[in-house]
Amino acid sequence: MKILTSRMDAHPSDSHTISRYLATGGYRSLKKALSMEPADIIAEVKASNLRGRGGAGFPCGVKWGFLADVHPRYLVVNGDESEPGTFKDRQLLERDPHQLLEGVIISSHALGVNHAFIYIRGEYPKPARRVQQALADAYASGYVGRNILGSGFDLDITVHLGAGAYICGEETALLNSLEGRRGEPRLKPPFPAVEGLYGKPTIVNNVETLSNMPWIVENGGAAYAAIGPEGSSGTRLFSLSGHVRRPGNHEIVMGMTFGELIEDLGGGIRDGRAIKAFIPGGASAPWFTADHLDVPVTIDDVAKAGSMLGSGAIVVMDETTDVVKAALSVVSFFAHESCGQCTPCREGTTWLENMLRRLTVGQGRAVDLDLLLDVSDNISPGLAWPPRQTTICPLGPSAVSPVLSILTHFRDEVEALVTTGVSS
Amino acid sequence: MITWSKDRAEAAQRILGSYPERRSAVMPLLYVAMAEYGYVSEQAMRDVAELTGLTPVQVSSVASFYTMYKREEVGRYLVSVCTSVSCHLLGGDDVLHAVEAETGVPHGETGPDGTFSVEHVECIGACGGAPAVQVNYELIEGVTPEKAVELCQWLNATEPDPLLGDEMQALFGGQRSFDWGPSESTGSKGPVPAFGPYSTAGTDRLAGP
Amino acid sequence: MSERVTITVDGIPLEVDAGELLIKAAEDNGTYIPRFCWHPRMKPVGMCRMCLVEVEGPRGILLTTSCNMPVSDGMVVHTESETVKKAQEGILEFLLINHPLDCPVCDRGGECPLQDQTLSHGPGESRFVEEKRHFEKPIPISDLVLLDRERCILCARCTRFSDEVSGDPLIEFQSRGNNTQVLTFPDEPFASYFSGNTVQICPVGALTSKPYRFRARPWDLEKTESTCPHCSVGCSIEVHTSQNEVIRYQGVDNDDVNWGWLCDKGRYSFESVNSAERLDTPLIRNASGQLEPASWPDAMEAAATGLASIVEAHGGNSVAGIGGARGSNESAYAFGKFMRTIIGTNHLDAQLGDGLDPHFLVGSTPRGVINDLDTAKTIVLWGPDLKEELPVLYLRVRHAAQQGAKLIVIHPRRTGLDDRATFKVVYKPGEGPALLNKLVEGDPGLAEVRAAINEGPVVGLVGRTGLTEDPRLAEAVAAFLRELPKATLMPLARRSNVYGALDMGVSPRLLPGRVSSASESGKAALREHWGSLPDDFGRDTIGIIDGLADGHLKGLVMMGSDPVRDVPSGNRAAEALSRAEFVVAIDTFLNDSAAAADVVFPALGFTEQEGTVTNLEGRVQKVTQAAPGPGQARPDWSILEDLAHRMGGSIGATSVNVLFKEIVTVAPAYRGLTWVDLEFGEGRDGLVMPLEEGDQPIQYVAVDPGLAPTKAPLALHSARTLYDDGVHTRFGPSLERLVGAPMAYLHPDDAARLGIPDGGEVDVETVQGSARVQVGFDPSLAPGTVFVPFNQGIGQNLGSAVEVKLEVVS
Ligand SMILES: Cc1cc2nc3c(=O)[nH]c(=O)nc-3n(C[C@H](O)[C@H](O)[C@H](O)COP(=O)(O)O)c2cc1C
Ligand code: SF4
Ligand code: FES
Repeated sequence: MKILTSRMDAHPSDSHTISRYLATGGYRSLKKALSMEPADIIAEVKASNLRGRGGAGFPCGVKWGFLADVHPRYLVVNGDESEPGTFKDRQLLERDPHQLLEGVIISSHALGVNHAFIYIRGEYPKPARRVQQALADAYASGYVGRNILGSGFDLDITVHLGAGAYICGEETALLNSLEGRRGEPRLKPPFPAVEGLYGKPTIVNNVETLSNMPWIVENGGAAYAAIGPEGSSGTRLFSLSGHVRRPGNHEIVMGMTFGELIEDLGGGIRDGRAIKAFIPGGASAPWFTADHLDVPVTIDDVAKAGSMLGSGAIVVMDETTDVVKAALSVVSFFAHESCGQCTPCREGTTWLENMLRRLTVGQGRAVDLDLLLDVSDNISPGLAWPPRQTTICPLGPSAVSPVLSILTHFRDEVEALVTTGVSS
Repeated sequence: MITWSKDRAEAAQRILGSYPERRSAVMPLLYVAMAEYGYVSEQAMRDVAELTGLTPVQVSSVASFYTMYKREEVGRYLVSVCTSVSCHLLGGDDVLHAVEAETGVPHGETGPDGTFSVEHVECIGACGGAPAVQVNYELIEGVTPEKAVELCQWLNATEPDPLLGDEMQALFGGQRSFDWGPSESTGSKGPVPAFGPYSTAGTDRLAGP
Repeated sequence: MSERVTITVDGIPLEVDAGELLIKAAEDNGTYIPRFCWHPRMKPVGMCRMCLVEVEGPRGILLTTSCNMPVSDGMVVHTESETVKKAQEGILEFLLINHPLDCPVCDRGGECPLQDQTLSHGPGESRFVEEKRHFEKPIPISDLVLLDRERCILCARCTRFSDEVSGDPLIEFQSRGNNTQVLTFPDEPFASYFSGNTVQICPVGALTSKPYRFRARPWDLEKTESTCPHCSVGCSIEVHTSQNEVIRYQGVDNDDVNWGWLCDKGRYSFESVNSAERLDTPLIRNASGQLEPASWPDAMEAAATGLASIVEAHGGNSVAGIGGARGSNESAYAFGKFMRTIIGTNHLDAQLGDGLDPHFLVGSTPRGVINDLDTAKTIVLWGPDLKEELPVLYLRVRHAAQQGAKLIVIHPRRTGLDDRATFKVVYKPGEGPALLNKLVEGDPGLAEVRAAINEGPVVGLVGRTGLTEDPRLAEAVAAFLRELPKATLMPLARRSNVYGALDMGVSPRLLPGRVSSASESGKAALREHWGSLPDDFGRDTIGIIDGLADGHLKGLVMMGSDPVRDVPSGNRAAEALSRAEFVVAIDTFLNDSAAAADVVFPALGFTEQEGTVTNLEGRVQKVTQAAPGPGQARPDWSILEDLAHRMGGSIGATSVNVLFKEIVTVAPAYRGLTWVDLEFGEGRDGLVMPLEEGDQPIQYVAVDPGLAPTKAPLALHSARTLYDDGVHTRFGPSLERLVGAPMAYLHPDDAARLGIPDGGEVDVETVQGSARVQVGFDPSLAPGTVFVPFNQGIGQNLGSAVEVKLEVVS
């Protein structure tokens, strides 16, 4: 069953155009939504049990319910997709931009929003061009703008381009960025639904989350909730990468195991090798090993097993992988992307990176293993899952995940580096 | 005093009008300024400050936070090689080394003749087509070290302008994250991303009350 | 009163204000939670993460920063649990891994929160073997401040202060992550009037100030609380001395006044206290017309004889006195008493022609205090550019506006507050009355402004926007504002202790204690104390200058005043001085006016004397002696007492204490004030002395004097800037360099019409004088306006005439 990618599958040559969109039932849900009471749309979204696809998996309808009763209020689409391993929103933006726009217009109507923003990362010029074109067409056809389809509802949509900062995917950093500031996460509370963009109530939702709205309005929340296991309803677009035969995005109903996903959809490991480890939900997530292939792909099962489904990015590592180098790649990503405002993340992630780098070039010391753990502990006290944090936002603790993962699952390999001085 | 071309000066005014608060226009205006000057020069930041009512240091504070606002001159072709985890696993580092060796430009630098700038970048959302490379932010997926070398030679020899992602993908790419669909004739003109027309609002933004 | 709630901190139940930040509630009740980024006068940012504590909640124990956590009833907090300690040690270690170990050569060593907390909360030894971050060692970021980025712990106190508090975002974070650093923009230095505050609140030695650098070690300093004497805001300060020399001033957090902030002029003016140019011996004009050092007895003799002979020949009212606004209340009181009882004149004035009706200044009702700003719905500022003239009041208004008060600024030019103003109205000098009429009558063009003004409580900040403005306009404005809902008024004058001097009766129209000199009962009461009191009419400073110039007046006593520099028509003052038969000056510097005197007495200055001062709210605060003063300099009141003695009388000025006691007996508005209260009691933040009915002090009810607008084709706006040619900037090496070059500013359209290029030279001419200057463009002016900063070498020659002519030179 496919919701998000059926149009692009069926019409690969023009799924992004307004003519194809209209020819395949596009903007029909908008018409329906405009005839509905906003509260009824919100009720459908609540009933759908749709959980956010940006990473945290927070129930969308519940979040909408927190929106403070102050105007103006804003809807912001999070298209900053930068979590290593994740490339699903890119496909949705590039191949079916109207689906997202329709979702945005429906949601804005439901939320009483008259100005929405779509924040797309700067490294996505082609998806941005497609969305900009789609938006121009939607304005021209009266789906966006003043008095939409004669309903009296007004909406402006502004596309805002990022410029190279992963942290802007964090919703409050994104709002700062949109306000023309450094993309530094804000302290919470207040949450955006109370005090967001320009200090006004704001809902931030992921591209994929909102791309589901036309379907939900058309088919009803209950129908959506009926898809997939409880707590992980609907379909979801997973980004599969690393040492698999067939990397790519796969829209699936949740509930199959990781083993099935990697084997059946990913075609198994390249060159007939064995799996060594995989990251189940983007670079921030603690790693799984072959022992976890039976874990079902649902938000709650993954959490129970000590990691997260996060942004739906599965990165597979085969038996030849140098896990210390792989961990270094992930840690240096977070060190590079730390906004730098809070001490433990700014100093700690770089310290972790430096230590791992020393290990990989044969300058590790025996004390470094415990030091890695203790520095990690000072970023994420107790080294537990879900992580506690001494930081403002979860980025700092994200850098701890790979360190902890290799020291938990592959400590002997790390120790070997210290004694032999060479990467095995 | 701002001396931008007429088109860009008009775009700037449109951009300023697209947000409830002027300050929000800083990022799009930095892109316009970058297109005007080729990079985010000191003058570019002063211009943006003037337009938004900020001080120049407030603008540079924002500009220096984001890696795509280059504050030094960049070569005609900015080659960005992804080395984040998925690309790392499939040889992104080798691709980077191949590009460095072929162009003679170490990452983070610009060659003396101004043709190439080379950088390694964090995940560019092409993990399904790892290793991935961007030239002037136009994407090529599934690049091998050998193909990367050919890509650099081709850029040097043919000096394509505009630079088309689909063309480069066809010539030097491999495995893709997903089916790209039809090919496009829009591409980048210079080392700035080609989302156009540096406007961030719907082109037919509502006028009047 | 806010609601009280009970929280438990480390097992101890505390009753605190609901909604207060946990870090503050704990500290006020004896539990100090370490912190670096949090500052009680700025919004919390929770960046350093040092203030982590554990809070018990419904979903278990939460590790959280206490600097941004409001308390709520029943909250249970642990500040010393194992987890908290471990986390704090971890943060400290993170802060130290890139921090240089240069405490022995750091200005902050010995008073450094990072150093202190490392000793009390830090890990033992370093586990960090990687290379530290390197930056170029201290780089100057302004004429006053240096930045060492290696020492910086990125708490953002300086950047937040500059952006949020002072409104000069000139230093900001640059880059991100581990490369984050604080920096200015190339060629745009940190030229803020408030930069010294960032040095004071920097929790490490990253920001240091040139005037203080390497001058002393904190443990050598002696600290004395006092009040800044540089403008009428009266900021609380601590004077730091080392070996009897003043080394620096630090702001003290006075809840009612300055919240710990100072302006750089106040802060760095200590350099002038130590200037080698200070007068340290009396001077007498010799036979060849030169001033030469003399002994105290000789100088006294010469001054007494000179004054006495004029009094004898022409009567006491042929002598006048100018001054009193730069010293303490006690000095001013002594000055007034000396002039009125020993000389026998009513010609005396503490204002120098740039002020307002003295009754209006000290007796306006209903009179507001600075803290009213924080509860105001609407603030109307029709007066000076506060950033230039009353800098810390500017900060307080700025804060109030940021907190949501509507701010309406009415001024002929851009002001520092424009970016926070809900409405800004610009007008051409001379056309203020017409504008006011429109506002009063509800002109449709000003409807929005009028609507905004109508919401109370309203605080009216009223003064002259510049020196060419008719002072009665302020009274008319006040007459309008006081009728608004719950309005209070703050009439604004800038010079240091001018309110104190007026309260002490240094004005032809006032007697000590805010009593009108026209009040028969007031005079009678004062005569009881003083024995005598002249009955004639008295002249103000401008009248005195005219009198000296036309020969009606013969003698002059100046105390801490420099009319040649400070009167709007300085050249006329110079001429008056040269015509006077006999002039005595009591001062700390041989300023341009004192240089024309026949006898000059060296006086002790600020930091060298005890006393009280009174600020623009009518708040009485203490100034304290912290250093001995140069050479033979003496307190001005004691010089006056000596002089009185030589002239056969006494003003009873045997000590500051005696003077203070006399003031609180004689001056109705000061009755009941005690020294002990000011030093220890609740008066440590100063006491606002209210008007009391029984004593019949003036209660000035502003009335619209009904001014007609002055129409001039080209109108002059002349106003003071913070750094001018006054002695405290001129004799302080650091501030001296900050004084701007003399310029005249024009609206670009006018310049185009008159064919004057940017940077061209013009002769500016009024009926009172002329000056040749360069022209700059200023689009914030109303067309038809010429702006000339006063006292940067030229403004004072142009006088207070509105109409002005321009002659293009090149
Ligand atoms: C460090 C960090 C990076 C994030 N990056 C993204 C991102 O790239 N895209 C995204 O949609 N959400 C991202 N998020 C999650 C957002 O903060 C937010 O939860 C999400 O946009 C909400 O949308 P949803 O409820 O529809 O998932 C990130 C969160 C963190 C802490
Ligand atoms: S955890 Fe890192 S990224 Fe998040 S606020 Fe702190 S410094 Fe910034
Ligand atoms: S004092 Fe709370 S985080 Fe810095």
